[in-house]
Amino acid sequence: MSYLSTIDFFEDKSFVDKYRYTMRTGELDLSWMKAATEPAACEPQNPRRGLTFRDLDSGSYGFSEMPELIRKNRSFAPRGAEIPDGVPDLQAEVNRKSEVWAYNVEGYYEEAMSRQWNATTDIPWRELSKYELPEEIGKAYAQLLTFLTEVEMIATDVPAKWLGRLNADFFEVKNFIATQAMDEARHAEVFRKRALSTGWGLMRASVQNEHNLKFLRDADSFAEASLTLHLQAEGMVLTMFRFSEYISPTDVDKKLFRLVMQDEARHVGYGMQHLKWVLDHFPEKREIVHRHLDEAENFVFGGGYATEVLEPFIILSGKGMKKENIEQGLKITAQFNLKQIEEYFERLDKCGMPERRERSKLALAMEMTRAAINAQ
Amino acid sequence: MAVRFPSTEFFQALQAQMNAERDRFRQLGYFDTDIGIRVHGDGLPGGGWEGVLRFEVFECVGAQQADLAREKVDFTLDGDLAVWVEMLRNIKEHGAADTAHSINTLTHFGEGLRCLYDDPDGHDKLYRFAESVQEFFDLAAKLDIEFPASSTAASAPA
Amino acid sequence: MAYFAEKDFFEDPELIELTQKIFSGELQLRWYNSPTEKLRCQPHDPARGFTYEDCNVGSYGYSGLPEFVRRNYSMAARGSEIVPGLPDLGYTINRKSDVWSDNVAALYEESKARRWVPATDIAWGELKSTPLSEEIGLAMSQLCTVLEEIALVVMEAPSRWVFGINQEFLELKSYLCAQMIDQARHVEVFRKRALAGGKGLKRASVTAEQALKEILFAETYPEASLAGNVLLNSLVLAVFRHVAAVAPTPVDARLFRLAMQDTAREIAYGVGQVRYHLQQQPHRAGFLQDYLDRTEHTFAGIAASPELMEPLIILTGGGTSREAVQHGSTRVRKLYQLAADEYLERLAAVGLPRRDRSRLRGFFD
Repeated sequence: MSYLSTIDFFEDKSFVDKYRYTMRTGELDLSWMKAATEPAACEPQNPRRGLTFRDLDSGSYGFSEMPELIRKNRSFAPRGAEIPDGVPDLQAEVNRKSEVWAYNVEGYYEEAMSRQWNATTDIPWRELSKYELPEEIGKAYAQLLTFLTEVEMIATDVPAKWLGRLNADFFEVKNFIATQAMDEARHAEVFRKRALSTGWGLMRASVQNEHNLKFLRDADSFAEASLTLHLQAEGMVLTMFRFSEYISPTDVDKKLFRLVMQDEARHVGYGMQHLKWVLDHFPEKREIVHRHLDEAENFVFGGGYATEVLEPFIILSGKGMKKENIEQGLKITAQFNLKQIEEYFERLDKCGMPERRERSKLALAMEMTRAAINAQ
Repeated sequence: MAVRFPSTEFFQALQAQMNAERDRFRQLGYFDTDIGIRVHGDGLPGGGWEGVLRFEVFECVGAQQADLAREKVDFTLDGDLAVWVEMLRNIKEHGAADTAHSINTLTHFGEGLRCLYDDPDGHDKLYRFAESVQEFFDLAAKLDIEFPASSTAASAPA
Repeated sequence: MAYFAEKDFFEDPELIELTQKIFSGELQLRWYNSPTEKLRCQPHDPARGFTYEDCNVGSYGYSGLPEFVRRNYSMAARGSEIVPGLPDLGYTINRKSDVWSDNVAALYEESKARRWVPATDIAWGELKSTPLSEEIGLAMSQLCTVLEEIALVVMEAPSRWVFGINQEFLELKSYLCAQMIDQARHVEVFRKRALAGGKGLKRASVTAEQALKEILFAETYPEASLAGNVLLNSLVLAVFRHVAAVAPTPVDARLFRLAMQDTAREIAYGVGQVRYHLQQQPHRAGFLQDYLDRTEHTFAGIAASPELMEPLIILTGGGTSREAVQHGSTRVRKLYQLAADEYLERLAAVGLPRRDRSRLRGFFD
């Protein structure tokens, strides 16, 4: 895996001599002053927003003019810089724009940078001492939090795995991935801290969901990884966060879920805009997308085995474990399940895949859920 | 009322200013370091003044004259009275240190102030908290400072 | 590479039966009496908030992590009930002292608290009020071009490793995420500075990139961290400090002061990682010394690349006149000597003394 520079800088006579000559005589090369690059005087279009990547979208520096295939730059040279002979090959595996790009990726990045909240100080942890949750609610909540802290950092690992494989010209995407990695670390953190503040600690790991994480992790391409991670999985998690805010046992938890859902919505936004871009610019991928979603949905359906996720929802939404609580909880949870799947299809509709609804076997899940609702 | 530099009162006045601007320093983030201050000057009692500033979380939690030989600090900002006075006058004049008078510039090659340390980890805290350190000293712009006899006292802006 | 589920769940009668049971109210509750440690963590210092250090308790804490993690290759949260059937996610870094540093949780917290936003925390609009001469403007653009190259590499470095590191090292992985976003910020701010200055980007650097690739493609994590966080960043921090000191505008002074905070934090982690690594694996000192023997030349390759060195000289001296360049050269040489000295000092403090062995200092003499 290691690489050795083509020059040994301690030994290369011309390199060493040139340094010493420069220092001794003060004679500078200065050829870089005449680098064949465009001038640029980018300014904030909206001073309140500051200087954004969108403000830099100009000429050869910009992302709009970036070609579909990156043929010229395989190095770390910043996009638009002069690339001299001899720069090393970064071994980027992804050099096709439509594999990674998303409409508004530059906007998502700037939003992420400005909306970094802090799990340590932005949650009013001290207010939790006002609340004493009954055992069944406390345990159910601790179990839900255990699941959430368990799964969050898949969305660090998966994008990070791809970050170093992308051509350097896609730095807006790399930067966005870096913000997502941090967002997910924050989510794992806040759910872990909340679980450890309940008095019940962490509870049981989720086998079924872990296998789903492995599926997300081992995708064959960035586009497939993003599709299932950002759009399908995080889309469903976003619905879950909104639902969790609704069933939150305290006001502190409502705030917690409002904060996490901001980040999640941004990731889903990227996922949707990425799929739109793929379908607009690389339509040959449509069937590959469908095939990948076939398996993703298999895992979604298999999530029925994850009773350690479903049952806490039922208890929390029904507010207890008596018969009447469970009945109420089942109704609400079933509605939530339906909403999760419905919103997933809506997102795919908006991205230009309305046919997914017909093709998907998740209709079976919806049918079972509706049957369950009607039976109550 | 003017505070004399260097003195415990001066640094405690900076401490009070910092604690009054809690929101600003909170925005800059955790600031966890202990800084030694040493001012050399023949005109000063004992030929110099030493003290310790302690910062924790978002506040200055201690500002005292001290014998640095007996104190544990992360790094010490050490310099002649004339350099310190010029820096503070510059801060008073401009509202904040200009580039030539920032803590970073003055300590950069140790030609103005020296940054002394036992442990490189401690030294690196000057850079980890660089903006907070600078904004702490920039608070001197709000103080009415009395400099030792050879200097003219600077007044706080009206 | 693709992973497929063990079965087609849509055709799984067992699953359908289970789902029907649940929705008829027959909860399984296998999780309800999970035999995990029951405790309540809270903020020790309310002003600081609820930190990872506050959660460093019992089976949940990082202090109790074993040196070799053998029991968990999934993302099951540390301290949670590990049940049969969890998959192996393919983690290849499972030894604590290969990645850990005693300050990592604190540095993660510090990085979050000390975040800044280039779009709005730099007074871009004020650059117009301090226009630069042609040569200073070009120098700043060239400098920022190289700094953007370096930041791209330092951002990638943690990403190459994080997905292979066992999830039990949660705080360390979280710190690596913080490092990624810190460097994304540097990619951003240096690009913006170059493109706001009127001159655009200039030339990428062959020698710097060759050196950077050697650093980035290190074979093991301890080597990668040592080369990136300590060797490279010792140079980068020194450059940031220097540019902040000679900055042509107050905006630039502040920009470089903010950037140095992030880099100094990475050094703190890198140094701490070496310290921890050698405390647990003292026999590795010889290995790392050998690694540095053959890798330290990359510091020289970056520092002495004309695309970095010449703009630094021009910014320092204030121009390209003979006097300005002579003054600038003298100061930049001193800067590089200082950077090399401080790098060696950091290593000596953590058990890798190499002042007598290193060729780095001699290169700049």
